[in-house]
Amino acid sequence: MKKIEVYFTLFILFITGCLSVSIAQDSSVSSNGMVATAHPLASRAAIEMLKSGGNAIDAAVAAAFAIGVVEPDGSGLGGGGGMVIYLKERGESYYINYYARASERGSESGYSGSNDAHTAKAICVPGTVAGLTMAHEKFGTLPLSKVLEPAIRYASEGFEIDATLAKLILDNIETVMADEATMNIFCEDGFPLMEGDRIVQKELGQTLSDIAKKGRKGFYEGELAESLVRGISDRGGVLTLNDFSSYEAQFTTPLYGTYRGYDIVTANAPQSGLCLIEALNMLENYDLKNAPHYSESAEILHLIAETERFVYADRTAYLGDPRVADVPVEGLISKEYGTQRFHQINQERLDPPRYRDVEEGDPFPFVKKDLVPVVKEEDLSGEGHTTHLSVIDKEGNCVALTQTLGLFFGSGQTVNGVLLNCAMTNFAYRSKNSINLYKDGKQSRSSILPTIILKEGEPFLIAGSPGAARIIATVIEVVINMLDYEMNVVEANQSPRFFVRDSEDFLYLESGIKPEVRVKLEEMGHTLRVYEGIDLFFGGVQMIYINPEDKLYYGSADRRRGGMAIGY
Amino acid sequence: MRHVTLTFSMIILLAALSFFTAAQPFQLPVLISSAGQSADVKLVKMLASRENLDANTILMATPSDLEGIKTLIIVPGFSSKGLGAAGISQEDEMNRVQELVNAANSKEIPIILMHIGGNARRKGQSDAFNALIANNAKHMIVVAQGNEDNFFTDIATAKNIPLEVVEKIAETGEPLGKLFK
Repeated sequence: MKKIEVYFTLFILFITGCLSVSIAQDSSVSSNGMVATAHPLASRAAIEMLKSGGNAIDAAVAAAFAIGVVEPDGSGLGGGGGMVIYLKERGESYYINYYARASERGSESGYSGSNDAHTAKAICVPGTVAGLTMAHEKFGTLPLSKVLEPAIRYASEGFEIDATLAKLILDNIETVMADEATMNIFCEDGFPLMEGDRIVQKELGQTLSDIAKKGRKGFYEGELAESLVRGISDRGGVLTLNDFSSYEAQFTTPLYGTYRGYDIVTANAPQSGLCLIEALNMLENYDLKNAPHYSESAEILHLIAETERFVYADRTAYLGDPRVADVPVEGLISKEYGTQRFHQINQERLDPPRYRDVEEGDPFPFVKKDLVPVVKEEDLSGEGHTTHLSVIDKEGNCVALTQTLGLFFGSGQTVNGVLLNCAMTNFAYRSKNSINLYKDGKQSRSSILPTIILKEGEPFLIAGSPGAARIIATVIEVVINMLDYEMNVVEANQSPRFFVRDSEDFLYLESGIKPEVRVKLEEMGHTLRVYEGIDLFFGGVQMIYINPEDKLYYGSADRRRGGMAIGY
Repeated sequence: MRHVTLTFSMIILLAALSFFTAAQPFQLPVLISSAGQSADVKLVKMLASRENLDANTILMATPSDLEGIKTLIIVPGFSSKGLGAAGISQEDEMNRVQELVNAANSKEIPIILMHIGGNARRKGQSDAFNALIANNAKHMIVVAQGNEDNFFTDIATAKNIPLEVVEKIAETGEPLGKLFK
């Protein structure tokens, strides 16, 4: 495999003539910098910053603002997210949690989980601008106005709708048509724009320009904040000026784990990095390196699927906003708990035989301080949509960033050109004892888990994915494809995926899983639902692999989505 | 390319017009259903309303829903989101659509294909649904982007089915309305 990588590298270098020439495709090789995002224009925005002398943080922030314009279904100013930053020279990692937060008066909206997902009642306080400007202020080197230039340009001058966005507009036409301002962006004559048509977002361009001039305050204070509060209120939502002015992104430490000698640096609670660490701790008890790949072995796929199901059960039971609830993070990510959980898996057959009957484990004995146990509740979040981007610069600084609007096109409500989130959909409402129970001012749990993996202190892999709850399974599978099966970055990304969790009735598979494996899985008790080919349902991983031997950066954008990896 | 498509479309349209001078127009009541569970069916419902076509819409229509129906409009195009929302597999959906088509044929209820999603509803998992409906249609209305490779033209030619190709989704309403006048 390594030989293939070397030949591939030599071929690319031969074609490009030198290391500083851009290569734009769904995979790329370079040494000065690398970007992988879900849209070519966002990747180009990041490269523009790197070429202007900016660092990985400048590039990631530029790409994050830009992706909100050119992939408006997945993220934007009206949403939130999280980013892991690794600064090579300092050898330090940071996590910025900028996920949306419930309004201080959210309970007054009368939000109903079954009816209001695509209404203004579902809107929480957006965190994107606070998070991105915080990252830029702390670690960026270029002026904010420069970093925002590409996003402003794409919004004001427009861009061509690609196949992915065209399909998503059609698939979510009811959401898009729920609000006149939103419909005016994505429709013409009352019907959806199509692939090749041009989207111009003048109002969004103006809002971005305000942020470029005034920074965080341009969004959370003054005229724009007043207009957003008024617009949301007019549509039946409840956000206050104080919600905006008091919103702060959380600058914190990431969550750390290890796996077979690699260091895992990932999103802290209430985001789902702990799920990745728990799953890897469980799988560390099995010699995957010498086992057949899961696409060729029912026994191995079953083992990983059960690991995922157990992890999802723990997530449902124990993951919530740590500011208002006791989250047993320490126990969930302990090696001992992972081993205990692994040995609860029946490797012969599905056990318990209904996916929904899986029970959470007991991580509390592995936690030193006293915590209050919580009650399990079904997680209602379903087909949420998100975006991920990965960046590395020539100094080896890295950013893994995942941001979201909640569901596709968020609440469907647009004010001042800003398509607003529906983060209320991520809370639990039924059980009074759920750790994720809605509360004014609280942050819901989220599936996002931007991750950086280090090997002996050197960046090795930057990865993450959209895909609602599937994010966790998808990232687990991509990581073991890289670390255990030693696939190259493209193989690891395009390898068939599967997904199962504690609130499902099916094991979802891509058809690349061999038919004989599927037959055997059914014999083991699984109920399958097969997706032909590869499907956006299983996420869209944007990742960068840093080869420890040749030190080159290998980028891969997921073909399940219209992304692009660009090196320079 | 667009000129060629338009010219060809005109020829097809003329052929369609001559066909309809002799053929009986489609009749009410109308049922609109999906083949692949895409949200496009909701847009077709809107288009039909604009043309004052009082059509009932059943996303997962079955043969029993054809009782009293004189025309069946089917909107083909695969959507994994739609199938997920319906809680069914692609195989389940294909079986349902096949049964619906068979029932319509046996009751001599004419099928109108409306393919409005362009590229987003072509290739991949969509074409099995597109082919099934096209091969059983008595009339096809298609947005040009979805026919750039002549997928529908080839079937229309081979089976002598009138085909109308328009540029925009909004333009599909008018030819649909005319079929009932």
